[in-house]
Amino acid sequence: MINCNPETVSTDHGVSDRLYLEPVTIDAVLDICAAEKPVGVIAQLGGQTPLRLARALAEAGVPVLGTTPAAIDLAEDRGSFGALLDRLGLKAPPWAVANGGEEALAAAERVGYPVLIRPSYVLGGRAMAICDSPEAVRAYIARERPEGVLLVDRFLENAVELDVDALSDGEECWTAAVMEHVEAAGVHSGDSACVLPAQSAGPGLIAELEEQTAALARGLGVVGLLNVQFAVLRDGSIYVIEANPRASRTIPFVAKATGVPLVRHAVRLMLGASLAELGLPVAAPQRHVAVKEAVLPFSRFTGADPVLGPEMRATGEVMGLGGSFAEAFAKAQRGAGQALPRSGTAFISARDADKPEAVALAARLARAGLELLATGGTATALAAAGLAVTRVHKISEGAPHVGDLIEQGAIDLVINTPQGGQGARTDGFEIRAAAIRAGIPCITTIEAGAAAAAAIAAGGAGYPRALQDGGRPTRPGRAFRPGPTVV
Amino acid sequence: MPRRDDISTIMVLGSGPIVIGQAGEFDYSGTQGARALREEGYRVVLVNSNPATIMTDPSVADRTYVEPLDVESVEAIIELERPDALLPTLGGQTALNLAMDLSAAGVLERFGVELIGADVAAIRRAEDREVFRDTMAAAGLAVPENRVVSDMEAGRRAVAELGLPVILRPGFTLGGEGGGAAHTPEEFESMLEKALAASPISQVLIDRSLVGWAEIELEVVRDTADNAVIVCSIENIDPMGVHTGDSVTVAPVMTLTDPELQRLRDAAIAVIRAVGVSTGGANVQFALDRASGEMVVIEMNPRVSRSSALASKATGFPIAKIAARLAVGYTLDELPNEITGVTPASFEPSLDYVAVKIPRFAFEKVPGASSELTTHMKSVGEVLALGRTFGEAFGKAMSGRELDVRPRTPRDGAEALEILRTPSWDRYDVILWALANGVGEEAVREATHIDPWFLSQLGALAAARTAVGGSLDALDATALRTARRAGVVDRDIAVATGATELQVGERRRALGVRPTYHAVDTCAAEFEALTPYYYAGFEETIAPRSSSSARAPTGSGRGSSSTTAASTPPRRSATSAMRR
Repeated sequence: MINCNPETVSTDHGVSDRLYLEPVTIDAVLDICAAEKPVGVIAQLGGQTPLRLARALAEAGVPVLGTTPAAIDLAEDRGSFGALLDRLGLKAPPWAVANGGEEALAAAERVGYPVLIRPSYVLGGRAMAICDSPEAVRAYIARERPEGVLLVDRFLENAVELDVDALSDGEECWTAAVMEHVEAAGVHSGDSACVLPAQSAGPGLIAELEEQTAALARGLGVVGLLNVQFAVLRDGSIYVIEANPRASRTIPFVAKATGVPLVRHAVRLMLGASLAELGLPVAAPQRHVAVKEAVLPFSRFTGADPVLGPEMRATGEVMGLGGSFAEAFAKAQRGAGQALPRSGTAFISARDADKPEAVALAARLARAGLELLATGGTATALAAAGLAVTRVHKISEGAPHVGDLIEQGAIDLVINTPQGGQGARTDGFEIRAAAIRAGIPCITTIEAGAAAAAAIAAGGAGYPRALQDGGRPTRPGRAFRPGPTVV
Repeated sequence: MPRRDDISTIMVLGSGPIVIGQAGEFDYSGTQGARALREEGYRVVLVNSNPATIMTDPSVADRTYVEPLDVESVEAIIELERPDALLPTLGGQTALNLAMDLSAAGVLERFGVELIGADVAAIRRAEDREVFRDTMAAAGLAVPENRVVSDMEAGRRAVAELGLPVILRPGFTLGGEGGGAAHTPEEFESMLEKALAASPISQVLIDRSLVGWAEIELEVVRDTADNAVIVCSIENIDPMGVHTGDSVTVAPVMTLTDPELQRLRDAAIAVIRAVGVSTGGANVQFALDRASGEMVVIEMNPRVSRSSALASKATGFPIAKIAARLAVGYTLDELPNEITGVTPASFEPSLDYVAVKIPRFAFEKVPGASSELTTHMKSVGEVLALGRTFGEAFGKAMSGRELDVRPRTPRDGAEALEILRTPSWDRYDVILWALANGVGEEAVREATHIDPWFLSQLGALAAARTAVGGSLDALDATALRTARRAGVVDRDIAVATGATELQVGERRRALGVRPTYHAVDTCAAEFEALTPYYYAGFEETIAPRSSSSARAPTGSGRGSSSTTAASTPPRRSATSAMRR
């Protein structure tokens, strides 16, 4: 084991046969390989850091176990990955490559608006933006002053994003999970809540996604773990957003939710076992509904806007388990420190495109006994739908306004979907910042708002579920076993 | 005392999601603790809402609940599982606060659950600012002159007495959330308001500012028989004013005289006794005015902390594992040191190397946020590196940061000093640039208040980096080894010579400039290490330890603490070592 992070279990001297507390750089790793002469190096379980070293290790003659560095590079390289998708008959959103800001405008025209634009090599979606017009692209270039190669992708509006985690031995593929993001495309997958099993996908779509994943696994020659992100449009057409032939951020969540020790299996595959030898069930067990929620650091950074976007900002995650999506989502929100109110007052302010959904979720909240507050257009829309809503001032309309009410503790939940992007000094920004300061849940996408309404409507705290119980809620009488266990 | 037989089921609380101020270190401590308790034959019930942890692997505990860490949820689990005891000291501030909430809500009493590791009174003595101040005073120890306030009016009175600048610390928060230094009355007003809101008990400590004082931490472990050991002493290179989680720190302490260090040791043990943490670990932070010798106790964490994880990795002494066993009745002398197998845990670790921790920041992810380092922690991770010298460890740690953003390059020395006046994430890159570009150490000291010893070491590293300029082919084995010993890594040499990192590595290895691997053995080579935990050093090799060693690098002069393939004993499990 080579790692330099003192916070981790991996740098405990009891975990490996030999522990080297050294920087994970090619310099240190090659020196250690020269001393240890290992059978091989596993680079697909440590995120981007070791993956960046994989090719150099292979070139230096150190065997990289599992998926080859060439395949890892293929998945990262737009041109060759696009060619692979063509060969497999899979679709990707139109894309183009631009050398510097000048070419970006032309590339965006070719691809068609809206576009997702970013430098070609970034971690966690840094300096990424969704632009719906040439002006927005110019503003992006002026703001980020990007150097080098830029990737310009068509952004698929209102698409549902699904994440697939799978195991492959290079030939066969076993799907561990098809997860659905709660937030629509445009929110970074690391910042989005996601649910397992996918709630809106039918068996036909799931089967199709599994098939496409298997085709990618074979096409890339994946030996070990594979994560594929898909976007599905309302007409059912499926697009491959990206494929990562490595342990993804969702692996721990999937392993805990399904009870399948994915990493253990992946390592056996890397060491040469076939999928058949692992003795996996035909399909991954669906034991309960599991929701993963991202935890964001906004309360730490006063001045930052808590709106979710294509740049990842989450520091951590929590999981909620339940018999239904509503129960699991409510638990995940509690775990994330954003406990949804079970009564009280909800403030809703939705952009125009979200108003129909806003009305639906407000109706649900009202039926669950919450009082509704809204400003301007949202208040009009709710009232027009026959809902009892109290109209309050926007912050720009002067005191007493919604910001004051939040500060006074008169509001228990804020649902605010931003009209035009994020940024300081807008009304929405002030509302969100006030909610963060007051420590009340602040939801910034309409999809998460709908999920929250469903969770509030379901009510109650749910039942605890021990992972050892195979997904059943733990009830008195079964869990309690007096006396020490024999180890 | 042997293990307690009157309890059989123990609940362990995790720390929840990774947030700034609370990262993977509590997964490490919780996992270690749960495993140690199971090895002792207890039934372990674990609660943590974060699935991305090792501790929630179903094999770590007997019963694993990935459930919200709130009173409602944990009460339901207690009702189901009926634990005899609750160990709250391994899950950071989250677990400690939750244990206090469970106690206040009467849940522990209702279900007959005993708090082990630290009791409610001890937690209160350490965490409640006012009680802590009185406790320290009774033990004859000074705390920073301060006032505890619960409203704005009292705050204004306090600042009139203490004078500006002052440091605000809200009670019962992690990582100093909502706190900071206030320099002007306006700044003070707005910060106090925020700090009062951030504290769950609306209590804020206003400290006299100790900006510029040295900040030292000691990790203490104590047992029921009142044995106490200092596991590790840690010096913050950044003086007071920067949160210890955001500071570059070094273990062991580098710049104190022996009497100064002994005084801190005595004080640390007095603190853990006064607070009454009867079993387990605690972290005690001191501020020291180097000029006058005045010493004050800043704070004490009555639990395993981020610094404990660092101290465990820096010394090889597994604090969480030992703390869990102490909590169930063992004493330090009854627990063997698993690294040596022959010394007990009451044997204080000694280091024959230097450990440097450098924090990792991600300000680029939160546009608009201030990147000034204050008493409010902002780093998102850290790198630890060990080396034979301070420079070697520091250079390695710098190279492990994996920066996504380039540090600033000042236009000139004046601009460098201007940047250095405000602590920032790239402070050390700028210091190295300044020292390499003609800015004097004294000028840097004035701007940063960093101790001259550290600046002379950084000056030596900067000079060593400058010395490898020119062509890579012109660098011979001696030049490369000298550079590596000074803490210049291959990537630095690549930057200086225009070669690639791989080319530097190839040439270095071809010239036989390879590292020697040393064991972290807790005892500075007094006993042989059974666990293979290594770090690299580039010192001159003196004599090979064994001529039959074909695979390993040549042994160093200090045989017993270096690895060679021939001498490495087979791996033992922690259990067998502990149970001997």
